[in-house]
Amino acid sequence: MTEPLKPVYLEDKLNEVRGDGHLRYRSSSLPTWCPGCGYFSVAEGVATALNRLKVPLKDAVIVSGIGCASRFPFFMETYGFHTLHGRTLPVATGVKVANDALTVLAVGGDGDAFAIGGGHIPHAARRNADITYMVFDNGIYGLTKGQTSPTSVEGFVTPSTPYESHDRPLNPLMMLLSYGASWVGQAYAGRPHHLTDMIAEAVAHRGFSYLHILSPCVTFDKTEMTYANLDVRVRDLPADHDPSDRLVAMEQATRAEAPALGLFYREERPTLIDGMNDIAARATGKASGKGKKNKK
Amino acid sequence: MNKNGTDIQFAVIGSAGDGTIAAGDILKRAMAGLGYKVIAFDIYPAEIRGFGKCISRVRITTEQAYSLKRHSDVLISLDDSYAIPHVGEVRDYGAVIYESSPIARLPEGGHMTAHVKPSQLPYGMQVRSISERVTASARSRNIVVLGYLAGLYGIDPQAFREIIADKFRTKAQAVTVQNTAAFDAGYEVGQSVFKLDDVQLGPPVRKGDSGKVTMMTGNGAVVRGCIDAGLDTFFGYPITPATTILERLAAELPKHGGRVLQTEDEISAIAATIGAGYTGARAATATSGPGLALMTEMLGLGVMGEVPSVVFVSQRGGPSTGMPTKTEQSDLNLAVFGGAGDAQRIVLAPTNVEGCYRTAGKAFEMAEKYQTPVVVLLDLYLSNRYETVIPPDANPFAPNLNKGLDAWRGDGEYPRFADTDDHISPRALPGEEGGMHTVTGLEHNQLGKPSDAPENHLAMNAKRHRKLDGALSHPDFTICKRFGDEGPVDVGILGWGSTFGEILEAMFAAQDEGIRCSAMKVVMLSPLPKERIVAFMDDCGTVLVPELNYEGQFANLISGALGRPVTKLTRSTGAPMQVEEILAEIRRLAQAKAA
Amino acid sequence: MGEAIHNVIIGNGSAGNGAAITLRERDPDCRITIITMGSLPFYNRYDLPRVFRGCYDWREILVHPLSYYDDHSITLRRNSRVTDVDARSRTITFAHNEVMHYDRLLVCAGGQGYLPEELSDYRGLMSGFGSFEAAMTTYKALPAGGTLVMLGGDMIGLDLARTLIDTGYRVVLLTNEYTFWPHRIAEDERDGFIQALGHMGIEVVDGVHPVAVEEGEAGKPARRVIFDDGGDVQGDVVMPSYGLVPTAEFMLGSGVDIERGLLVDPMLHTTDKNIWAAGDVCQIWSAEDNAYRFYYGWNNVRLMGEMAARNVTGANEAFEGLEDERLRIDKKGHIASPFWEH
Ligand SMILES: Cc1cc2nc3c(=O)[nH]c(=O)nc-3n(C[C@H](O)[C@H](O)[C@H](O)COP(=O)(O)OP(=O)(O)OC[C@H]3O[C@@H](n4cnc5c(N)ncnc54)[C@H](O)[C@@H]3O)c2cc1C
Ligand SMILES: Cc1ncc(C[n+]2csc(CCOP(=O)(O)OP(=O)(O)O)c2C)c(N)n1
Ligand code: SF4
Ligand SMILES: [Mg+2]
Repeated sequence: MTEPLKPVYLEDKLNEVRGDGHLRYRSSSLPTWCPGCGYFSVAEGVATALNRLKVPLKDAVIVSGIGCASRFPFFMETYGFHTLHGRTLPVATGVKVANDALTVLAVGGDGDAFAIGGGHIPHAARRNADITYMVFDNGIYGLTKGQTSPTSVEGFVTPSTPYESHDRPLNPLMMLLSYGASWVGQAYAGRPHHLTDMIAEAVAHRGFSYLHILSPCVTFDKTEMTYANLDVRVRDLPADHDPSDRLVAMEQATRAEAPALGLFYREERPTLIDGMNDIAARATGKASGKGKKNKK
Repeated sequence: MNKNGTDIQFAVIGSAGDGTIAAGDILKRAMAGLGYKVIAFDIYPAEIRGFGKCISRVRITTEQAYSLKRHSDVLISLDDSYAIPHVGEVRDYGAVIYESSPIARLPEGGHMTAHVKPSQLPYGMQVRSISERVTASARSRNIVVLGYLAGLYGIDPQAFREIIADKFRTKAQAVTVQNTAAFDAGYEVGQSVFKLDDVQLGPPVRKGDSGKVTMMTGNGAVVRGCIDAGLDTFFGYPITPATTILERLAAELPKHGGRVLQTEDEISAIAATIGAGYTGARAATATSGPGLALMTEMLGLGVMGEVPSVVFVSQRGGPSTGMPTKTEQSDLNLAVFGGAGDAQRIVLAPTNVEGCYRTAGKAFEMAEKYQTPVVVLLDLYLSNRYETVIPPDANPFAPNLNKGLDAWRGDGEYPRFADTDDHISPRALPGEEGGMHTVTGLEHNQLGKPSDAPENHLAMNAKRHRKLDGALSHPDFTICKRFGDEGPVDVGILGWGSTFGEILEAMFAAQDEGIRCSAMKVVMLSPLPKERIVAFMDDCGTVLVPELNYEGQFANLISGALGRPVTKLTRSTGAPMQVEEILAEIRRLAQAKAA
Repeated sequence: MGEAIHNVIIGNGSAGNGAAITLRERDPDCRITIITMGSLPFYNRYDLPRVFRGCYDWREILVHPLSYYDDHSITLRRNSRVTDVDARSRTITFAHNEVMHYDRLLVCAGGQGYLPEELSDYRGLMSGFGSFEAAMTTYKALPAGGTLVMLGGDMIGLDLARTLIDTGYRVVLLTNEYTFWPHRIAEDERDGFIQALGHMGIEVVDGVHPVAVEEGEAGKPARRVIFDDGGDVQGDVVMPSYGLVPTAEFMLGSGVDIERGLLVDPMLHTTDKNIWAAGDVCQIWSAEDNAYRFYYGWNNVRLMGEMAARNVTGANEAFEGLEDERLRIDKKGHIASPFWEH
């Protein structure tokens, strides 16, 4: 990982993927991201992953919030909903509840997710809504031009924290693990192939999958989450990591100074829709209670 | 009104632990079952499970009534300490029924007999000892009193026994048996009492309908309307007085193939509703003022993204957390104007329980047809009050009014937001081939691509507003309606929401006094049926606008939109407006006009 | 602010109401509470026969308009039975468990219809006349042209009997020593008065001794009164009419002297310094008779109430009773009594 960073040019990327079929997942609108922004890798990864999983375009819905990251749906040739700042998950939940045959992806930035939208995440996770939630973490507010975010380092100097930020960064992986997400993984925009594999796995998972994507903002962050810094800091999860052990996963997650890439945790359990189907069966007398009721 | 027929209002008052509301419930259901028209309203304590004051008022009539009366004919005290302050509401020669043998030693003035006025008739009864004798517990005191009432007024006891059996059907058989025995014991006593008041119960008028008549609250009617309109998904966050919509739908909707989710907050509730609406579901949420305040950003997204959704808002006392268990009509501004930008949406305000049903169902039609959020404004008084309703024979709601992808036959890229004759665009739903698009809250062009070009913003703003004009002639829906005298009148009353019942009663009373007047209810508050309101105002010497808030929000809406003066009658005590207050104001205006 | 003096009057009859208004006139500031077991405001009981002439609305026999109580700041406590009076703590207790304090108490509790011990088992089969409710109930039980069997025949009952005959009913009267109560009839005059009853249309059965009342057989009138000699008489309703006994049981624990009624001196003061009594409930010391005696009738009673109130508020008047208390026979050959003149 000592290789100097090579900028990723859109044209090169387009050429690379031409002919392999997944281009059709990309919309006619070209991304408006800054050249070199990590988000390009994600767009590429999503297109490749959906192609790999043979998800029909018409059956995929990408829901986003507001932010650079959230521009994502415009650049994909699926159904898309660019909603409000922080409201990605509840809208995505509504989509899934309304039509559970759809493949629902939710995307947003670190501010969208953990600042304004922080209250929604535990609930989507504990309900195990079958949504793939990808947070593009650049440790900064990109769209509003570089203010500090909930994942920014302590002491970060930005236009809104000219005398340094005094707030500690959140640890999103720890949060998601404790919220009860049934699939938790981390990827890095600088490792596009691994990222694509992780996206495919996350989408394939039945239940709420959370993929944390480290993704540099090349325009506003020149010191912290840069490719150069991340390239040295990231590591792979240990080869013998057991993704069914939540405590071990948490232990790995605590080592935030050296972010581990890979699948931290996975479990199979009934989804939100499974629960709703069970309710429907009970309400119509087709199934009886499972004795879990909490009588008033 | 009701000069010849029956018109009796009962008020059952006690603490939360006395079964006050249950007694009122059985009473109103029994009377409805017998074929009377019923309007009823319960008042609960603000405390959750405390022993605060509960009042259940039940008005039964043979002719249509529109509100509760100021004066009750019969007061039933299950707890004197709560009922005593209300003795004054019993009319002259009306009755006051109370416990004649309280167990606790009372200080002077602690018993009902100290407060019954000479013009009222006191009926003491050994409620507790009868309950204890018959059921070995004091719990059935409320039922004993009901029996007494039925005996005293000669009401068919069978009607009560059936409701009692129904009420306790989920409990052990013994509960029904005991309560029936309690009722019968009370009935026997009531029958043998010499009746001295002049409260008279005549026969119900329309016996034939009695089988079909059902009793519903406003919220209950909303739930029925939702189900009949084919609601697919409901997302809600508990808040008084809208909680019962969530709770009832949670029980009922899954039986009809729908899905209900209690979300983590109102933002999530409306967000999921809009997500589901975007996906093609008939989707709704319900809240009160504080929740609506949280929802306004999403309503804006619904307007901008042209996504159907229905938001039921049961208003309570505000601002802020305000008075959760008191009624008020003070969220009109928020419902009509709340949110960023020029975000016009449809706002409907039914005036009675039947209207709640129709409006709920029609709200889905409109949301879908005009691709917009629809806010249905209720209030605590309407949400919680009971009225007898005759359900329609056939489902009155159209199943699918979405202008779909089929409506677009062009070539090239699918223009999700194409401007058309009626300004409604063809809407593809996720899962449909060939309709892929992204909906956004950013200003966008007809293809849905973000655009902040000046001419685009102008055109799209116009499109979004103009398409709503169609709602003013939405089929089979009353957007506004005039009652009372035809032609020129001295006093016209413009009303909205739950207060319209009191307005009608006041108007009829004023007519009886020889005042020429009429009243118009405005159900569609946005877009406002301006022409019809102007035509009405042209006929009126003066226009009175009674409403339950401090600022006169509807009056401001009218005079702002139409540039015409109106006389405000505002009241914000947390209680419904009194017919007499409106009547007094009509009289005053009529006299001023004459002078 | 000192508490106003609380004058409590137990009894909502002529005595109590006469006392109340007199108290109000003499002391505009005191608190006045009238207590009654009944459900209605003060009405004329001597008007109750009107029920049988078609007066079914109690509002027609009220003495005062309903605003009277508010107008005079008099609190009326209805359906409120006093069970106990504690003269030491000056409190009264109600059957409904409320405790009330008084400064001065006027007991005007009147009397109740007397029923001989041997007939008390049959109370449920007999009709009353002491209140509007009782009168209405009796009226409803009596079919048009039906028969009322009256036991005894005090002046209250005989008043009703006149009206009943006037309105087409039959009255069978079983006479005894209570007939003509409260008049004291000399032996030699009795036959003449009994005859006069016959003149009035009353069917008099003299000299029988009723021992039981039974339900009539199917197809026969609803009631049967059985005599000790096995004979009987049938009627639709049976009404005891044995005069009144004072309603004084609730005063038993109060410490006030009681014989049959509350014993008072001619100033109507009881043996407790804060308690006075007036009306049918009290026995007044008569120096002339050297005994405590009753003074019945509406006119006497009203006077007593007023006088007690004056004495409560500082006067010192002695009650004498009205002069003319004798039963007579009028020109038509009917009996006539000052008791019936109001
Ligand atoms: C039916 C009837 C007809 C009569 N007709 C005539 C007539 O025509 N002419 C005539 O001169 N006289 C008549 N009398 C008799 C005359 O009315 C009485 O002498 C007189 O009314 C007695 O008045 P009072 O105020 O002493 O008591 P009442 O009028 O008997 O009043 C007694 C009051 O005391 C109250 N009371 C008693 N005990 C209690 C208690 N424990 N707690 C609370 N309240 C209590 C009662 O509720 C009642 O209000 C009649 C009496 C009756 C019953
Ligand atoms: C309610 C609301 N508040 C604030 C904003 C302004 N805003 C837009 S994006 C953004 C932050 C974006 O940061 P992040 O979510 O990390 O996304 P990024 O741009 O970094 O991808 C903010 C504050 C908004 N659109 N809506
Ligand atoms: S501002 Fe930063 S996050 Fe936004 S597009 Fe540019 S590089 Fe990416
Ligand atoms: Mg960011």
